[in-house]
Amino acid sequence: MGGKFHTTYEQDMAILQSLWVKVWLGILVFLLMLCPYILTRYQLSILNEMAIAVIGALGLNLLVGYTGQISLGHGAFLAIGAYTTALCADNLGLPFVVTLPLSGFMAALLGMIVGVPSLRLKGLYLALGTLAFGFIVEYVLFHWDIAQGDMGLSVKPISVLGVSITKEQHFFYVAVGFAFLATLCAKNIVRSKIGRSFIAIRDRDIAAEAMGIPLAKYKIMAFGISSFYAGIAGALTAHYQKWIVPGSFDLSLSIAYIAMIILGGLGTILGAVLGAILITGIPHGIVLVTDILKESYPKLSGLIVDLKLGIFGLIVVLALLFEPQGLAGIYRRAKTYWKTWPFRY
Amino acid sequence: MEKIFGVLLNGLSMGAIYALLALGFVLIFKSTGILNFAHGELAMIGAFVCYSLAMQYGLPYFIAFMLAIAFGALLGAVVEMVFFRRMVGEPIFSTIMITVGLASILTSVAGVVWGHDVYPLRGPFTDKTVLIGGAVIGQGAVYTLLISLVLIGVFALFFTRSLLGVSMKGTAEDPHTASLMGINVNRIHMVAWAIGGLVAAMAGIFLADQSFVRLSMSHTGIKAMSAAILGGMESIRGAVVGGLLVGIVEGLAANYLSGAVIGGFHFGDIKEVAAFAIMIVVLMIRPQGIFGSEKVERV
Repeated sequence: MGGKFHTTYEQDMAILQSLWVKVWLGILVFLLMLCPYILTRYQLSILNEMAIAVIGALGLNLLVGYTGQISLGHGAFLAIGAYTTALCADNLGLPFVVTLPLSGFMAALLGMIVGVPSLRLKGLYLALGTLAFGFIVEYVLFHWDIAQGDMGLSVKPISVLGVSITKEQHFFYVAVGFAFLATLCAKNIVRSKIGRSFIAIRDRDIAAEAMGIPLAKYKIMAFGISSFYAGIAGALTAHYQKWIVPGSFDLSLSIAYIAMIILGGLGTILGAVLGAILITGIPHGIVLVTDILKESYPKLSGLIVDLKLGIFGLIVVLALLFEPQGLAGIYRRAKTYWKTWPFRY
Repeated sequence: MEKIFGVLLNGLSMGAIYALLALGFVLIFKSTGILNFAHGELAMIGAFVCYSLAMQYGLPYFIAFMLAIAFGALLGAVVEMVFFRRMVGEPIFSTIMITVGLASILTSVAGVVWGHDVYPLRGPFTDKTVLIGGAVIGQGAVYTLLISLVLIGVFALFFTRSLLGVSMKGTAEDPHTASLMGINVNRIHMVAWAIGGLVAAMAGIFLADQSFVRLSMSHTGIKAMSAAILGGMESIRGAVVGGLLVGIVEGLAANYLSGAVIGGFHFGDIKEVAAFAIMIVVLMIRPQGIFGSEKVERV
């Protein structure tokens, strides 16, 4: 594709496949470094949300897009990460360097428990199981004294080595840093033996097993890794929002994550990143548009909640109907078209 | 003794709604192989339409009811034509996710049209009760129960005796082969969705009779899924039995557990998650449900 031929394994396995990728990535990093100096606080807060969403979406894409296990309970794992952080950081006073991985592992542990039924369940049964799990987590958080139910929990700002990160600009570097780290890890998982096993399981699990891939191990591993990502994203969300309530981790959050990976492109790293950025950006875009139209249509601002939900739904449906490969697929096709022009292929 | 009888009857009256919802669910799943996550939303819209016709436009309740279920059928058919016609034979993930997206769209449309308020829907049997063995049960619940029992019979005959029903079963098994056999798959799917939408609207109206018309009533649709899972996704009578069981378990949980506090954990409105707990237990122990049969998969 695109006239690029790999002649060695090193080339085939490289994370950054060509010089231009390196150049563009360099420019992106440079621009991101500049962001805190140029953008307003509100714009930065959008970028922060996007960076956290990227981490969560990467995790979900590893599970759904690469391993083919449907999960409608991703929001629950974010909740577990967020509450672990809140409880450990504030009640036990543990430092950030401990609570962050702890949140990830806590979510991963529960993810692996949820993953056990996936050895027997497939497709829609798994979707229903994870859905039920999501509702039960929300219920538990509402009713357990330790999580203070509706009141929610306050969360300290991140502090590392006595430096506490309270400003939007500083949090930006943390969030984007973790998003890059998460992308790198995901890339590495995907190009290694683990990722290839995931893909084999997605394409046909019985055939994968026949070829010597231990299904139990890799399915549970996929759930664990995916939930670990969600836990980290949840922990960062907790630190960022400074106040967490169970209601913010409900089914609509899980659906938003599903929308991200479907819009971006299932089974691609680039897709998860693009989808997370777009889906997080859309509500802000809607707010922007309604602000402009508020003068002429004053009723519109009351409909934001409904519109947001409807547009998410519409994106999922349209993407599945017309572009099942998502934005990553469009990008790939555009690139091929560009490279081979004026020929069709 | 009298108390537990009352609790059971109460559970049954909610269970009848679940049964009706699960019936529509199973019907769509059985004939199209699509797990309809938007079923609760179809029910909600049916209830809203009935509310608008009966309360806002002042039509007689019975006519409003009929028009609303007809609208439900139409909505089901339109949904099939617009969204699922091109999805025949697509992987299950895509179809599930389209119904999830559809649920969001329907909720959003209902939110724009009817708003987020709570409306009462008063029918001829609202607040009327029947006395059975010293315990009371709402008249609406009795009707719901009777209708679901009648529907079991109707669907059982439909799927075994009528050409349409048999072709529906064949279509569900393998749409491609069915179309090679001369079955008009599109038409079959549309009819299935229309019947599903009709039953859903009916369930929504009965549900509104027991509580209110509001956006969040679509949540009941997800709980009805656990009824369908419990009974077996492809079994009509399973849907009704599962629905009634889920309703009874909910009633028992609400009565005996909701006040309990164990180690700082308040059970509170455990009724809301009882259905999900059942779903997880069933999926762990017997994923095919009570009346389902295990399937052997070939590579």
